[in-house]
Amino acid sequence: MRRTITRGIAVIGAAALLALGTACSNEREGSGSTGKDTSDAKGGFAQDGLVGVALPAKTSENWVLAGDLFTNGLKDAGFKADVQYAGASTTVADQQAQISSMVTKGAKVIVIGATDAAQLSTQVAQAKQAGATVIAYDRLITNTKDVDYYIAFDNFKVGQLQGQALLDGMKAKKAKGPYTIELFSGSPDDNNSKVFFDGAMEVLKPAIDKGDIVVGSGQTDIKQTATQGWKAENAQSRMDSLLNSTYTGKKTLDGVLSPNDTLARAIITSVKGAGKPVPVVTGQDSEVESVKSIMAGEQYSTINKDTRKLVAETIKMVQSLQKGDKPTINDTKSYNNGSKVVPSYLLPPVIVTKENAAEAYANDPKLSPLTK
Amino acid sequence: MSSAPVLLEMRSITKTFPGVTALADVNLVVKEGEIHAICGENGAGKSTLMKVLSGVHPHGSYTGEIVYRGDTVRFHDIRASEQAGIVIIHQELALVPGMSITENIFLGNEPRKRGSIDWKAAQHRALELMEQVGLKEDPDTLVKDIGVGKQQLVEIAKAFAKDVKLLILDEPTAALNETDSQHLLDLLRGFRDRGITSIMISHKLNEIEAVADTITILRDGRTIESLDVEADGVNEDRIVRGMVGRELDSRFPDHTPDIGEVFFEVRDWTVRHPASDERLVCKGSTFTVRRGEIVGFAGLMGAGRTELAMSLFGRSYGTFLSGRVFKDGKEIHLKTVSEAIRQGLAYVSEDRKSIGLNLLDDIKTSMVAAKLSKISRHQVIDPVREHRIAEEYRQSLRIKTPGVDEEVVKLSGGNQQKVVLAKWMFTDPDLLILDEPTRGIDVGAKYEIYGIIQRLVGEGKGVIVISSELPELIGLCDRIYTVFEGAITGEVTRRDANPELLMKQMTSMKKTPSP
Amino acid sequence: MSRISDLQKNLFGGTASNARQFGMIATLVAIVLLFQIWTGGLTLTSGNLIAVVSQYSYILILAIGMLMVIVAGHIDLSVGSVAAFTGIVVAKTMQEHSLPWPLGILLGLLVGAAIGAWQGFWVAYVGVPAFIVTLAGMLLFRGGNQYIGNADTVPVPTGFRDIGAGFLPEVGPDTGYNNLTLLLGLLACAGVVWREWRARQTRRVMHADAAPLWVTGIRLAVMVGIIVFTTLRFAGGRVGTSFPISGIILIALVLAYSYYTRNTIGGRHIYAVGGNSRAAELSGVKLRRVNFLVMMNMSVLAALAGMIFVARSAASGPQDGLSWELDAIAAVFIGGAAVSGGLGTISGSIVGGLVMALLNNGLQLEGVGSDMVQIIKGLVLLLAVAFDVYSKSQGRFSIIGTLMRPFRQNETSTPVDPPNPASDQDKAPVAG
Repeated sequence: MRRTITRGIAVIGAAALLALGTACSNEREGSGSTGKDTSDAKGGFAQDGLVGVALPAKTSENWVLAGDLFTNGLKDAGFKADVQYAGASTTVADQQAQISSMVTKGAKVIVIGATDAAQLSTQVAQAKQAGATVIAYDRLITNTKDVDYYIAFDNFKVGQLQGQALLDGMKAKKAKGPYTIELFSGSPDDNNSKVFFDGAMEVLKPAIDKGDIVVGSGQTDIKQTATQGWKAENAQSRMDSLLNSTYTGKKTLDGVLSPNDTLARAIITSVKGAGKPVPVVTGQDSEVESVKSIMAGEQYSTINKDTRKLVAETIKMVQSLQKGDKPTINDTKSYNNGSKVVPSYLLPPVIVTKENAAEAYANDPKLSPLTK
Repeated sequence: MSSAPVLLEMRSITKTFPGVTALADVNLVVKEGEIHAICGENGAGKSTLMKVLSGVHPHGSYTGEIVYRGDTVRFHDIRASEQAGIVIIHQELALVPGMSITENIFLGNEPRKRGSIDWKAAQHRALELMEQVGLKEDPDTLVKDIGVGKQQLVEIAKAFAKDVKLLILDEPTAALNETDSQHLLDLLRGFRDRGITSIMISHKLNEIEAVADTITILRDGRTIESLDVEADGVNEDRIVRGMVGRELDSRFPDHTPDIGEVFFEVRDWTVRHPASDERLVCKGSTFTVRRGEIVGFAGLMGAGRTELAMSLFGRSYGTFLSGRVFKDGKEIHLKTVSEAIRQGLAYVSEDRKSIGLNLLDDIKTSMVAAKLSKISRHQVIDPVREHRIAEEYRQSLRIKTPGVDEEVVKLSGGNQQKVVLAKWMFTDPDLLILDEPTRGIDVGAKYEIYGIIQRLVGEGKGVIVISSELPELIGLCDRIYTVFEGAITGEVTRRDANPELLMKQMTSMKKTPSP
Repeated sequence: MSRISDLQKNLFGGTASNARQFGMIATLVAIVLLFQIWTGGLTLTSGNLIAVVSQYSYILILAIGMLMVIVAGHIDLSVGSVAAFTGIVVAKTMQEHSLPWPLGILLGLLVGAAIGAWQGFWVAYVGVPAFIVTLAGMLLFRGGNQYIGNADTVPVPTGFRDIGAGFLPEVGPDTGYNNLTLLLGLLACAGVVWREWRARQTRRVMHADAAPLWVTGIRLAVMVGIIVFTTLRFAGGRVGTSFPISGIILIALVLAYSYYTRNTIGGRHIYAVGGNSRAAELSGVKLRRVNFLVMMNMSVLAALAGMIFVARSAASGPQDGLSWELDAIAAVFIGGAAVSGGLGTISGSIVGGLVMALLNNGLQLEGVGSDMVQIIKGLVLLLAVAFDVYSKSQGRFSIIGTLMRPFRQNETSTPVDPPNPASDQDKAPVAG
């Protein structure tokens, strides 16, 4: 009896001592525990350093693909990779926690595909202070000085291509205007949504002003056209109500500007549900279902932003950072995030329609069979 | 009778809970076709014994042996015991109020035809069963629309549907009025004649005396004795002696009333039923209470006594229509419970468990709950005073508990009732309204509660006692009002009170002039 | 009474609910140790502890209010939406009317109070079940957030960000630690010692047998040890970081609300209403007022949590507050509150919340994906409550029993007290 008590006290005492003992290791020096193994002064890091990749929730194939590519690509390049997706319902908070965890684990580079580009400044600052380099992937992180690089496809160009494709597609179907169209844009919390939309409108605006193109519902403001959370259901329900309010009689819909494939398919579903002929619908991301749809003649176009290329470029960037070199950038003035102009590397997007699909996806193992 | 074969024998049953021995070497022999009563104070082990028998406490959790119809049986759950024909009817009825009589009778036991319920057969069989228990109702009536007495019959019919051999009734008449109780007892006699064996647990000794063939008395988890009613010439006093282990000279403590002047008066109190516009639950009731006086309210179930009390106590029941209340000659207003408490009223509900106590609380928390301000400063409760006060009440009311930190749910009915009394004594009331203060309480505790009531009036408080037991009212009260259908029909002093007179007034609208 | 039972009875308080809490704390410690080993020591680094506190403080603040709502027998599903709505109102007002940030916080609390009054009105005075009222509120205020913010992300000024992302400043001599955090730890130690001393005094006044001195000693040693350890951790983080401001807000609220729920009339009334509302009403408790205040208080705390999150995120966005209600409710139930109301403690809920937080954090450190994290959290919630239900159906709180069993074998010779004839032991068996 007495022995067990003594034993108990000994255990508790030992635990307390252990606690106190470990507490003495202090993380105060310099930039913290993470800076310990900076062997070369130039700012490079060990070849097997940890690279964190924080991606949004798995809402589109693209993010899933990007995650896989990062996991394998970084491993092949000799890094330790920690690839995380945000949860489906708690996106922002999850991503914040994930980035913090990466910092704790001592990630040297953190690649972030932001869920809400404006709500990460605290975590990015934390990363920066811990000595990590922050790369904004695909979506620019705003309102912070602590983001180092931005890598993405040229999204303004994407918008322009979408606008042009819409015009071309409608002309091919019906030689003479005026054409009736509807506009959709992406999630308002995604910085890119506005860039796509502005790009497209740069092409469409002159035609609208001339009267060649009529926006049937009159909704041309980005706030009216927004699709919260890039969610298909939101686009579909907006399209449903547009059809019910504007296209009731004989009025036909010639084209729809859709910022991506998921939304494009939702829009087509809605139109088909209403028993109307499928209009010219643009898209983006080259999702499998949309490529099928294009080949079947329903969706008109998509954009090929080859995720492989983007991930490959990002990994290249990480590799130069590891060596302590300055990574390649090709744009130093376009992307102001509200606090600073972020040095960017932009990749050119490619428009894909039924005509050039085979060629565009020639070296994509998943998509090229679909185009035959 | 004594030559009848043994149906059930429970041999040296011992059941322990952590730290407590609930049953120690208990023996029970039930002969076929008899009515066997089990008596004992609360906590004597009656319910535990029945739970062991019915498999609620499965085989293996107790020691001892159960021999039923000649075989040793090991029930692992209720289903097993029911299959053997042993059906328990609990004090709290296990009926679904929103279902019809038929549906309730066959709940969990539905007659099936090709996978679906055969309602036609069920209906038919239900009528037969209802006939057997003397229930005259449309089998489609919802259970909530019939009275407690009839609900009890539905329960019994349900037991019959399971082909019962041994019917166990736990306090079957506790919630029933005189007539319904009588009917039920007659029914039991009828079952006996048809060869069905019953075990009955009851506190109502007169009923046991009237109906039982054999009585087994338990005390402190042990078998005290088994009495053959006819052969041993058993009467109530004999049973009481066995239960408490001593003779009770009197059921009521000695008390010399010291009655002062009228201090509380209610005039023309009229209250409407909460759900119905036409029904009045109090019809112009007028009554008075003197200092130091115990005033009884007699009436049948549903006569409106509880409704009167609760509507007075901060308008807690129904819709107030008219009436005035005077205390010490001044009119007072009792619109909310807190006002009523401030004016010195206290109401001890008839339903301890569902509206009288918070069963999650411990004893001390319960005791001070109605007047927290008395032990607080600047809204902050002083735990030391709380504890001290609870201790004082525990001692002065002789509440049997290891300590005031125990949860009230662990107390027996009598001790719970004492906690409720303490809770209201703590509010320093001038008038205590006690609604069925001894319901479901064993003889010993009843005696103590009567003593507490007498002590309270001794301090110059007024006490109103609402009770369905006429002997209790007659033995305890200085004056008794009778209530019938919401109206006060009579006023009888202690000197004139007898059951016949009260019963007459309780069942008629004619107001007999007070003597 | 043997020494072991002394220890068992007194080390963690002795009553059943304390035993339950002790079980929760044991779980928490187990989770911490598990992850500490699994992540190779990352869990208890300064940086990680600081991150955990600032990441989950707003959920824990919600859990405080939710505990009171659940104890009173209600539920609040709208907290996330209320937080998001308040966040956008405050952010937008500060941005467009250049409102100074302290006034912004005040405005946020007022918005919370107004929303709370609205919900409280429906629950308490109209009698619509809180589930419905707050389900409606969830939609209402989520929509309100998007309507006002145009589903846009609105940044907040730097001063405001401190309540979510700020730390105790560096002052005084260079000790190698953050001095204010050290001071805070010192205060906590003093507080613990003082409370222990007070508790002994109280028990002495009550003539109750106080715990033996050596038990008190061990208990104090354990608690002070934990406080010293955590203090040094928080004080020893990277320069510029220390104990987060949001954590200080949380601790202040926990202390205040624990005191309120335990020691005041108002607190007692909440438990009374949740335990048996009719009994409470007949004891003079103003049912409506209690319900109203509980719902209102929840919304005020939700507003505060919303602002802390916005401050930490530096901006208010349309996805703020998504499924926070679930985290808060889970914390409360893991912490031992009863679904039917009347039972539960603030400290239990905080421990419940911390279990979830550390689980989340540990899994993230291990690189477990958010899908698996959700699955594991779901299972933990289910198992925690199932365990609770199971122990209750067994009539005893077996956590402590299980833990103490190895010690108990030596104790069987101790005579058991004879049964108390008058208490209904057969209906509610008591643990020894």
